[in-house]
Amino acid sequence: MTRAEVVALTLSLLSEDDIVVAADGAISREAYRAHDRKRTFYMLGSMGQVASIALGLAMTRLERVVALDGDGNLLMGFGGLAMVGGIKPPNLYHLVLDNGCYATTGGQPALSQKVDLSAAALGAGYPWARRSFSDDHARSALESWLAAPGPAFLDIAVDAEERDQAPRIPMTPEEMVARARAALSGE
Amino acid sequence: MTVSRRLEALREAGVDYVAGVPCSYLKTFFAACGALPPASYLPAVREDHAVAACVGAWLGGRRALAVMQNSGIGYCLEVLTSLHLMYGVPLPMLVSDRGAPTDFEEHRILGQRTRQLLDLFGIPWREARPGREKVEARWLVETSEKERRPVVLLVGKGTDV
Repeated sequence: MTRAEVVALTLSLLSEDDIVVAADGAISREAYRAHDRKRTFYMLGSMGQVASIALGLAMTRLERVVALDGDGNLLMGFGGLAMVGGIKPPNLYHLVLDNGCYATTGGQPALSQKVDLSAAALGAGYPWARRSFSDDHARSALESWLAAPGPAFLDIAVDAEERDQAPRIPMTPEEMVARARAALSGE
Repeated sequence: MTVSRRLEALREAGVDYVAGVPCSYLKTFFAACGALPPASYLPAVREDHAVAACVGAWLGGRRALAVMQNSGIGYCLEVLTSLHLMYGVPLPMLVSDRGAPTDFEEHRILGQRTRQLLDLFGIPWREARPGREKVEARWLVETSEKERRPVVLLVGKGTDV
């Protein structure tokens, strides 16, 4: 499956109360296009900080926090994995949409092809971490992940090829953050 | 249990989440952080992750404070610019003021340019003074929220109280 298809499938499995942190770049744009929700925070830059932002949310909220991360993104901020594993927030669900490359910048290969990300998550202290393929079993893999004890980590392989490019999100950064914070404060 | 007047003053000013990486200039402050509730203190592994976690905590409704050595500002710049400054997220920061000519070599190059670096990115800063903890805490929190940007209190030797 393409990354966009897995993003859409994941969002369809979430409840309205879940809080989502969407990685900068294509993942945010695909999440917006598939299912825009007020409780999604769309990152535009600061690559490598998906897990850290999600951790700050998970420590301060009772709802489930779902991090939609990329493989290159996770590798850039690998220390974030240690923080989540060390703190162990039970409401944090970390998904890596793993295309094995830096797709946005031209498909240069990433070291995620050689590094076992789910083993790293287990080593960091996540009680549950798996790797799966985005084939016919993608839905059940995602469902198992969302039903697992948190913090739970799923590294899901997606196609390196992309069918199309999702457009930029038509909101200013100030609007994005104001909307997400208002939704979380019950406004 | 270690008591930090600075941490107490910041809590009175509304700070209810702290993420940071220790500095020996901030030993008292970090020792007192150890007594905070587990969901209110993040011992971060690097300063960029600390300030990113503060964005998450702020989205979650908290007043989040980042604490670090001034060398950590270097690690933070991408996050401070493309998260806090770009989205308009307030961030009070407590930063140690290393780099005096008498300090160790490894602190001097970035340490002596900390103020220029903050000025370059439009990040307001002030130097901590002994006995001014309450006034400084209010200034730090209020300025960051009014201007919706990172604001720095520089903690030199002798002001970690």
